[in-house]
Order: sequence, then C-alpha cells, then structure tokens
Amino acid sequence: MFDPIDFLNYLINGALVGLLYALIAMGFIVIYRASKVFNFAQGELVVFGGFVVWWMVIQTGLPLVVALPLAMVMSALFGLAIERIFFSRLVGESGFAMVMVTIGLLILIRGLILVLFGPQVRPFPIIFPLKPVIIGDILIPRSLLIGAMITVVVGLGLSWFFNNTRAGLKMTAVAEDHQVALSMGISVKRSIAFAWALGAVLSTLGAIIYLSGKSLNFLASDIGLSALPVALLAGFESIAGVLLAGLIVGAVQGLVTAYVDPVIGGAVGSVFPFVIMLVILFIRPTGMFGWRTIERV
Amino acid sequence: MDPAGIFATSFARDAALVRTRPQQIALALFLAFLVLLPLLFGPRLLAISTLILISSVIVLGLQITTGYAGQINLGQAAFMGVGAYTTGVLATKLAMPFWLTIPLGGCSAALFGFIFGLSAVRIKGFYLALTTIAAQALFHFFVLNLPWFGGSNGLTIDPASLFGFTFSTDISIYYLCLAVAALMTFGAYGIVRGRYGRAFVAVRDDDVAAGIMGIDVVATKATAFLVGAFYAGVGGGLWAYFVRFVAVDQFTLFNSIWFIAMVIVGGMGSITGALVGVVVIKCIQEGFVSLGPSVVAQFPSIGGDVVFALMNVFLGSVIAAFLIFEPRGLMHRWNILKRSYRMWPFPY
Repeated sequence: MFDPIDFLNYLINGALVGLLYALIAMGFIVIYRASKVFNFAQGELVVFGGFVVWWMVIQTGLPLVVALPLAMVMSALFGLAIERIFFSRLVGESGFAMVMVTIGLLILIRGLILVLFGPQVRPFPIIFPLKPVIIGDILIPRSLLIGAMITVVVGLGLSWFFNNTRAGLKMTAVAEDHQVALSMGISVKRSIAFAWALGAVLSTLGAIIYLSGKSLNFLASDIGLSALPVALLAGFESIAGVLLAGLIVGAVQGLVTAYVDPVIGGAVGSVFPFVIMLVILFIRPTGMFGWRTIERV
Repeated sequence: MDPAGIFATSFARDAALVRTRPQQIALALFLAFLVLLPLLFGPRLLAISTLILISSVIVLGLQITTGYAGQINLGQAAFMGVGAYTTGVLATKLAMPFWLTIPLGGCSAALFGFIFGLSAVRIKGFYLALTTIAAQALFHFFVLNLPWFGGSNGLTIDPASLFGFTFSTDISIYYLCLAVAALMTFGAYGIVRGRYGRAFVAVRDDDVAAGIMGIDVVATKATAFLVGAFYAGVGGGLWAYFVRFVAVDQFTLFNSIWFIAMVIVGGMGSITGALVGVVVIKCIQEGFVSLGPSVVAQFPSIGGDVVFALMNVFLGSVIAAFLIFEPRGLMHRWNILKRSYRMWPFPY
C-alpha cells in the first residue's frame, strides 16, 4: 500500500506549493511589516496582478520580456495609488479602521476587476514551460520549481533588507508604532507607500507563478486566504520565517490531501490550513518567529 | 441628550428608552407603518422588507460584537448559516415547531461563535478576525461533509406553523420576521444599556484599562461573540423559514463583508445605526438589481455583469469613504443634527 516514491512526490509537491503560498504570504507580511496594516485584500491584489499580466501578454501581445517588468511597474503604481487614495489619510488612525478599509478594498478591487475584465475565465499566458522536471521517479511542475527558487531568493533578500538596511529598519519602526516613528522623524506615509507598492509587486509575482499556463478569473483571489495560515505560522513580522512556514504548511497539506482525503472523503486538504491556523491562534498566536509584545501600564 | 428643559425626575424616567412624547408618537407611527406595510407594498417590496428585517437581526448581532465590543467579525454569515442549518435540520428531521427551532438555531450558532470567541484568551485585535475567517472555512467544510446537512444539495424546509396556522404566504412570514426582529431589537437595546453593554464598550475603548477596572476582558470578548452569533443564528433561522431552502453558498465570506458594510455605514456603536445601515445598504443593493436591467436595455454595450460589478465598486468605496471621512457612520451625523436642534435657541 504505502509507496515511498508516492510519499516523496506528495511531500515535495506539497512543499513547493507551500513556497508559493509563502510568496503570497510575503505580500501580507511586507505590508504589515512596513505599515502595521493587515491587508485582507491580498488575494484581490494577486488577481489584479494576474489580469494586468494577462492584458499585457494576451491582449496587447507584448513579448514576455517587456510585459512582465511592465506589469510589475503597473502593479507598483496601483499599490501607490491605493496608499495615496486611502491610507495616507489614515495615518495615526486606529488599527481597526485600517483593517476595515482593507476589507472595503477587497470588495472595491474585486468590483473593479469585474468592471474592467469581466467575470469570464481567461487563459493565462504560459510563462514557464509546461514540461515537468523529472528527477528519478519524482515529477515536479516546472513553474512551481522556478517559483520556489524565486521565492527563496526574494524572501532572503527582503529579510536582509528589512533587518539590515537603514530604510528597512525605518519601516520596521513604523510597524511598531506610528506615533513613535513619526516623532523620530520617520515618514510614515513614505513607508506605507513603499509597503503597498512592494506588496502589489509581490502579489503580481505570485500571480505569475501561480497562474502560469492555467486559467484566470476573479475567483483566483482565494489563494489570498489560503496563504493566511502560512503568514500566521511564521508570525506576521518575519519574512525569512515565512519560507520555513510555507514549507511546513505546504508539505503537511500535501500529505493530508493525499492520505486523509480518500479516507474521510471531501476536501480535508483545503480546510486543513485553517485548522492549523486555529491551533496556532490558540497556542502561540505570534507564530514561530513573530514579535512577542509585552504590554505594561 | 434630552431636549432643553426636560429633566428626568425619577430613575425610571432616566432609564426609559422612549423619553419624550414626540418620540412616542414617532415610534408608534413607525410601528404602525411596519404593521400596515404588507397592505401598502406589492409582493416584491414586501419580500425586500422581509429581507431587511432578517438582515437587521443579523446586523444587530454584528453591531454588538464589532460596534460595541470592538471585535472584528468576518464570520457573521457562517454563524447565520449555523443557525439556518440547525433550524432546518431540527424542523425537517425532528419535526420541531418553529418557536423551538429558531431559538435553538440561535443557541447552536452562539455556541459555535463562542468557541471562536474563546480564542480571545490569547489574542487580540485583528488576529481575532482571523479566527472568524477560519470559522467561515470550517463551516463550509462541515456542512458539505457531515451527513446530516444534505451536502451541496442543500436542505428544503416546510413552512413554519403554529396551532394549525402555516406561515406559507409572504405576508405571514413578514409578520413572523417583524415580530422576531422587534423582539431582538428591544433585546439589543437592553443588552447594550446594561452592565454587559458597558463592559463591551470599555473593552472596545481600551482593554488594558478595562481589565484594571475589574472587567474580565476575555470573558467579555467571548460573551460578545456569543451574543452576536446568537443574533446571527436567529436571523439564519428566519432566513431558513423565509427561503425554505438552505444551501451552503448562501453564507459566504462575501455576505459577512456586506453585513460589516451595513454596520459601518449605519454607525458603529449604535443599535439604531445598525438598522439604518441595513435599510440604506439593502435599498442600494435592490436599486442596483432593479435599475440594472433597464440601464442595460438602454445601453446594451455595457453588459449585465457590469451592473453587479459596479455595485461592488460602489460598496467598497462607500466602506472606505465612511471609514476615512465619517468613521462613526450616518447615526453620528444624525446625532449632531439632533443635538443642534434640541439646543436651539442656545448656542451650546
């Protein structure tokens, strides 16, 4: 019954999907880490990025080399626009208001996508070759493998940026407390603007890897919610930690889908990340690498 | 505050909900309007009114959890679904009467909400909102996979009946919803003005300070979820008897967000605001739905999907605009207006 090759297949594929979640989760974390806003609209940003890429490549027919960087620039501008229109007015407001605004954004962006691109399912351009990588008996989708490499590089790079450079540390200060950051001469607005631009770019990158060669419509935003448990397990402040968390969640989810689903029937695998999320929230809400804040009066 | 020159001379007067004669008259007129509404409106408007009543019950619950206790709840639709399914299962499998199934639906939803509210033991702020998203996902999973709920086919429910009278017509179900909504509104006023309501507000404004004053912060947060989910469950029960068909895709995360939008537009921290928010948002929704086809008929190039999409754009902008420019909602505007005319002719 138990086949070690199958097991390895599920494990590796799960882990790679987990790294894709990690890339999406990085969008959450970057925005949180530089602006103290928890962005519920992350999934919509992914879909928006996906549609921009689709529009550039399929509709306008630009070559990939031009289209992908252009799509990144456009999504960065979109992120900046979000900051300009909404969050620059909310500096110093309660976290509650900001989170609620991201919920409003979720609906707004979804509506905009439906107005601009319609609800039809679109074919997404094939960015990575479809032929899987075969190592021995293990079959790995090429897009996920390349995506995983990109994720690791981006993750380590951003982690270095936030922990070691002056600009990154400034943003970290903003994530701790807006008022304190302001009083130390750090521009909260600029930090938030950068966070949203970066978050939108990461989402577009995620969309490219996630959707390459698949089909695209507005329901793809569900991946935003699937990535939540990864962000939570890592702790919302840790960018490098999200890589490890993605591997763990993805591998466990892959194994559960493969071995528990046939037994129980139904989509245990799809709901499993949320069970993980609840367990984390009850046991250790700061995740593996999050900041543990102490409140004193 | 009361109009100039009116002072409460007894505790009963001071604690009264309806404080002045004009208020009594306005309330009586409003209730008379609600009672006579089926005679005035056609079937479509009646159905919308029934939906507004059901939504008000649910949004009242959300107002208590989010508006008063300050806990973001993205799972109100799931709690509503738990209520609807409990009501459906009890009514079809055990043939219980509606006056048992609706409260029991409320209780089961309350239990479900309480479990997620309990996570407040260790977490606060938006982390708590994450547990409610998990609630939404788990609800879908359980309904689709446990054997009693009809899976993806949904549940069909017989009309409610009382002493041989069946609530099968639109008008009778409207009166049932009206009665329950009135009761629940009255209850909500009681909760928020009492000891628990004050504890909710204290926790919302500053939970550290509330804890120091001797309020059990964790219990208060969990209670807020319990009460809010109970309201959602009762609303879900009414929904089950109104639509007489319960399916899992009636209770999505998106529906929860609509409920939150109603609370924000109406005004957080006001029971009346919740009702105002429901009416305003539902009317806008129905306006888009009913005007949409004629607009599309005029300009066929737009296409029917765009109307629905524009509704989302509009709603999203409304939520954001209210949070940025008027975080306390329409009720706050109204209260400013009321204060100024009550003060008149004095400047302040």
